[in-house]
Amino acid sequence: MEVLTEKNTKQTPSKPPKSMSPWAIARRKFVRNKLAMVSSFFLLTVMIMSFLAPYITTIDITRVNIGQMSLPPSGEHWLGTDKSGRDVFVRLLYGGRVSLTVGIAATALIVVFGTVIGSIAGYFGGVVDSVLMRFTDFILNFPFLVFVIVLNAILFGKLSGVWVLIVVISVLGWGGVARLVRSKILSEKENEYILAAISIGCKPSKVIIKHLLPNVLSTIIVQATILFATMIVAESGLSYLGFGVPTEVPSWGNMLSTSRDPDVMQNMPWTWIPPAVVLTLTILSINFIGEGIKDALNPKSYR
Amino acid sequence: MNITINHEKISERKTDSGENLLEIKNLKTYYPIKGGFFRRTLGHVKAVDNVSFEIKKGETFGLVGESGCGKSTTGRTILRLLDPTDGQIVFDGNDITNLTGAKLREARKDFQMVFQDPYASLNPMQMVGDIISEPIKNYYPRKKSKEIKTEVMDLLERVGLPSDAYYKYAHEFSGGQRQRIGIARALALKPKLIVADEPVSALDVSVQSQVLNLLKELQDDFDLTYLFIAHDLSVVKHMSDRIGVMYLGNLVEVADKHSIYDEPLHPYTQALISAIPEPDPDKKKERIVLQGDVPSPSNPPSGCPFHTRCPLAKEECSEIKPQLKEVKQNHRVACILYD
Ligand SMILES: Nc1ncnc2c1ncn2[C@@H]1O[C@H](COP(=O)(O)OP(=O)(O)O)[C@@H](O)[C@H]1O
Ligand SMILES: [Mg+2]
Repeated sequence: MEVLTEKNTKQTPSKPPKSMSPWAIARRKFVRNKLAMVSSFFLLTVMIMSFLAPYITTIDITRVNIGQMSLPPSGEHWLGTDKSGRDVFVRLLYGGRVSLTVGIAATALIVVFGTVIGSIAGYFGGVVDSVLMRFTDFILNFPFLVFVIVLNAILFGKLSGVWVLIVVISVLGWGGVARLVRSKILSEKENEYILAAISIGCKPSKVIIKHLLPNVLSTIIVQATILFATMIVAESGLSYLGFGVPTEVPSWGNMLSTSRDPDVMQNMPWTWIPPAVVLTLTILSINFIGEGIKDALNPKSYR
Repeated sequence: MNITINHEKISERKTDSGENLLEIKNLKTYYPIKGGFFRRTLGHVKAVDNVSFEIKKGETFGLVGESGCGKSTTGRTILRLLDPTDGQIVFDGNDITNLTGAKLREARKDFQMVFQDPYASLNPMQMVGDIISEPIKNYYPRKKSKEIKTEVMDLLERVGLPSDAYYKYAHEFSGGQRQRIGIARALALKPKLIVADEPVSALDVSVQSQVLNLLKELQDDFDLTYLFIAHDLSVVKHMSDRIGVMYLGNLVEVADKHSIYDEPLHPYTQALISAIPEPDPDKKKERIVLQGDVPSPSNPPSGCPFHTRCPLAKEECSEIKPQLKEVKQNHRVACILYD
């Protein structure tokens, strides 16, 4: 009979040791992925430095220092100063705080909202599905930039600058996640373990939260990393165009937008190269982390 | 296929009363076919089209038929995992056809299912202990977790799994062991009826008889009534007291096991029985080979569903749909030949 004995558990060293949850197995695979680990380390460093900026430096970021305008990098100002005499390195730290906050908050809101809408539509199907998906299509087809400008104007003054942008991006951004989650739930709910869950008396909310979502979570996580990178780029893009974070708030996008001035572009590269490099590396590392998670969660990929 | 079954066990057990645990009357379950630009309903797959039978307390009712004839749909509809299109389901004296919400959930306690696919029927993210204790937690939220764990450990032992299975995940087990986990989950609430939907068809032949024997033993210990679904007549023969034969969503014959095997009445049943390999070479029998394919359940033939392939079909067969009628004692058949 096929009862596991002590002996035959030990005979199979190639398989992961017994009693590892699917998550534990994925974590192990991820940790072995060098590129993903280096990227995680980089991203973590950027995050820690950004969010701990007030403890790392005591320089006031808003004060305009007339005596120290447009200085190239030196021992005192590691990355030089900008046209208003503000320290570029310090602005980079504070800017990262804003850009990452926008990215994290917008991603979180989008993922939560999209997952709720998508899983309800996918699980219940029928009329519920039709109504929710019509609404999703409507949101997806909305002219993004127009809405950003209009909502920005409406919400201006009611919320602090950065949060206006987060809300605007989130309100318009959840459609893709909702569609993705719905389609995943639709195929996942065909599995017999869902019928089993209903049969053993789980309420619909429990079937969704405890049985369906954990099994589509890998897709959602991978999607979230892509979104996170996209949101950081969106912040930078919108700020560069002047529709993003208010100009007085430092963000990587706002720092980049100073290069619209041809003089800055040509003669003061130390003001815009650092945010460009950090932004690029951050986006890249998020993407590598996303790829790593995708590989780790895919039962078919062995490395 | 050879199946060794504890025959003493079977003969010992008697269906204790003539009382019906389950009665289904004129059950229909149609799947809508959606299509076109507005996803309108273009037609229906008549997966179950007028099925009536009853299951007595303590017996095993075998449901056989080719793949796609609507066995799973029948089983799932009976357990209200699918909504019936028409008809009535009476379980233990209560009409459960139209129950919804909390009332339906309460009723589910008494009827459970063992699924066909040992891989898809267990949540890969749950530990075995959680899988088996979940039904208990759902219905007895105040029960102490220590008590629940003891119960689950007993169940594990009862279905022949080691106790350290509790902390493992389904992916660490073989098909046969997974099926045991599924059986333990179905038993956790001490149900009255278990629908076993081809519980061994996905397993290695060597493990099949072990799982079938387990189901037999559990039936005695837990006073279970089974609806046992299979497409393999030899498996059904070993498990069942009475047998229903399905063809294209219709029940064409119902009788006790011996009547079905020794004197099948419906031409379709006769063809199925003739196709069972005979282990005794002296008892040569003639094999009836059916012509043509099974028609589509979305466009079933008029009259008798079997007339397109029936070797004995008459002209009326394409016009009159025969109803299931008792032609001998406890032997019902839906065929114009016995009218
Ligand atoms: N979810 C579904 N949607 C549409 N048609 C289905 C669905 N499930 C099963 N069917 C169809 O219903 C018929 C009966 O299926 P099923 O009950 O699974 O048969 P069996 O269990 O006897 O193999 C088949 O023709 C099948 O294709
Ligand atoms: Mg089936």
